[in-house]
Amino acid sequence: MAETSTIKRTKRKSRDPLWLRVLPFVSVVLFLGIWELVVRVRDVPPIILPAPSAIARYLALMIADGSLPYHLSVTFLRIIAGFVVASVLGVAFGVFMGMSRIVARVLDPWIAALYPLPKISLIPLLIIWLGTGETYILTISAITAFFPVLISTYAGIRQADQGLLRAARDLGANARQVQMKVVIPAAIPSIFAGLHLGMGVTIILVVAAEMIGGSNESGMGYLLIRFGQVMETEKVFAALIVLAVFGGVIIKTQERIDRWIAPWAAGKN
Amino acid sequence: MDIFVEDLVQVWDDGGDGILALDGITHHFGSSKLTCLLGPSGCGKSTLVQIIGGIERATGGTIRIVDPGSPGAPSARPGERSVMMWQNLNLFPWRNVIDNVAFGLEMAGVAREQRYARAKEMIASVGLKHFEEKQCSQLSGGMRQRVALARALVMDQPILLMDEPFAALDAQTKIVMQEELTRIFELTRKTILFVTHAIDEAILLGDEVVVMTARPGRIKEVIKIDLPRPRSQELINSPEFGKLYDRILHLIREEVLNAMRQQNEAAG
Repeated sequence: MAETSTIKRTKRKSRDPLWLRVLPFVSVVLFLGIWELVVRVRDVPPIILPAPSAIARYLALMIADGSLPYHLSVTFLRIIAGFVVASVLGVAFGVFMGMSRIVARVLDPWIAALYPLPKISLIPLLIIWLGTGETYILTISAITAFFPVLISTYAGIRQADQGLLRAARDLGANARQVQMKVVIPAAIPSIFAGLHLGMGVTIILVVAAEMIGGSNESGMGYLLIRFGQVMETEKVFAALIVLAVFGGVIIKTQERIDRWIAPWAAGKN
Repeated sequence: MDIFVEDLVQVWDDGGDGILALDGITHHFGSSKLTCLLGPSGCGKSTLVQIIGGIERATGGTIRIVDPGSPGAPSARPGERSVMMWQNLNLFPWRNVIDNVAFGLEMAGVAREQRYARAKEMIASVGLKHFEEKQCSQLSGGMRQRVALARALVMDQPILLMDEPFAALDAQTKIVMQEELTRIFELTRKTILFVTHAIDEAILLGDEVVVMTARPGRIKEVIKIDLPRPRSQELINSPEFGKLYDRILHLIREEVLNAMRQQNEAAG
C-alpha cells in the first residue's frame, strides 16, 4: 500500500510534459535576453544598468582573481557562527522554558520586550561595547536569530499533543522519559521552522553588519558597499547574484538536512 | 484479571457545580472476558475505561483489580496491569513501526536486542512482517491499527483497554480488524474492555455488553452474549444475533433520544 503510493507520486512528477518542466529555465533565459536586448538597443550606460553579459564577465573575473571566493567564505563562516550560537542557545532556552514554568515566567518579560525590538537598532550600542570586529558581527546576528528559534522551540514544546503524552505514560514512561522521548521529538517540526527563520535573519544581519561598521574589510556586505561607493555597478550586480545563489543554496541545504534528520516532519509547519 | 468497579462517580469541573459524567457505576468486569461498553456519545464510556486504565482519576468510588488465580493478593493500581489502545491510536510519528511497538519496553529499560526481538515477534503476529522499518505515515489506516495493537500487546499486560479503536476504519477493514481481535482474544484470553457505539460490533466481539445511559452515565442494562466461540462474521446472519441486536437497539434508541433531548435543552 505504502509502496504503491510512493511509486504513484514519482510517476506523476515525471509525467509532467517536457515543456512544463523546462519552463523555469525558459523564464530565466527569456528575462536575461530581454534585459540584454534593452540595454544594447537603448544604449543604457553601464553605471545605471549593465548588460547581463557584462555582469557575467565581471563575475568570472572576480571568481578568477579569488576575491569573490574569499569574501563569500568569510561571510559564510560568520553566518554559520552566528547561526550555531543562536540555535544552541535558542533551542536550549526554549526547551527550559517549555519544561519549567518558573523559567518561563522569569524570561517572559525580557522576551516580550526584546523580541519586537528591531535588532538593527542595537548596532550603535554594540559598536560602543564591542567595537567593529568579529565579536560585534557575531553578536548582532546571533541575538537576532536567537528569538525566532527560542519562540518556535517554546511553542513546539508547549503544543505537544496531549494524546501522545498520555499514551507514553500509559506505556510506562516516567516524567523524564516523557520529556526526552515524546515532548522534544514532538516539538521538532516547530524547532525546524524556527531554525529556518533564524537562518534567514542571520544571513540578513551578517551582511548588514559587514556593511555598517565592519572594520575587517571583508565579507559580501563590505564588497557591496565598496563597489557601490565607486559606482562599479557591474561588480555590485555580480556580488548580488552570488549572494542570492548562496542564500538559496543555504536554505535548500537546510531543508535537505531537516529531511535527513526527521523525514517524518517534512511538510509540517 | 477481575475488575470490580464500585459506585464510581466522575464530575467534570465546569467552573460551577460541575458536570456529572458518571453516576454510580458498579460492575464486575469478568476475568478473561471481553466486555463491550455501549452507549450514546458523551455517556462517559471512554471516561470509565480511562479511569480503569489509570489515565483519569475518578471523583469518587473504588476500583479493585485482582487476579482470580491468587486470592488474597492486594489490588493492582489502575493502569498497573493494563494497557490502552486509543481511539486515535496515538502512534509516535517520529518513530518507525518497530520503535513504536518497542516503546513501552524501551521505557522499561529492556535492552535493544531483546526488545526488538519481542517487538518483531508481535509485529509478525498482527500480520505486519517486513514493515518494521516503515514510517507510520506510510501505512494505511488498517495497518496503523495493527501497529497500535502490537504496541499494546507487546506489554504483555493481562488487561487490554480499547477505546473505540475501530471507529474511524472503513467497513471492510473494520471487519478484518474485528476478526483479528477475536482471534487474539480467543488465543490469549486477556481481560478486554472494548468501548464502541456500534451494536453489531458489541455483539460480535463481546461476552457481555454493558449498555450505558445518556449523561450522566449509568449502567442501563447488562446483556450476556452466549454465542459460541470461535466467532466469525457469518454470525450476523443467525437468528440469535438478530434477536440480541433488536433488544439492544431498543435500549440504545431510548438513550440516544434522551441524549438528543439533553442537547436540545442545552442549546435552547
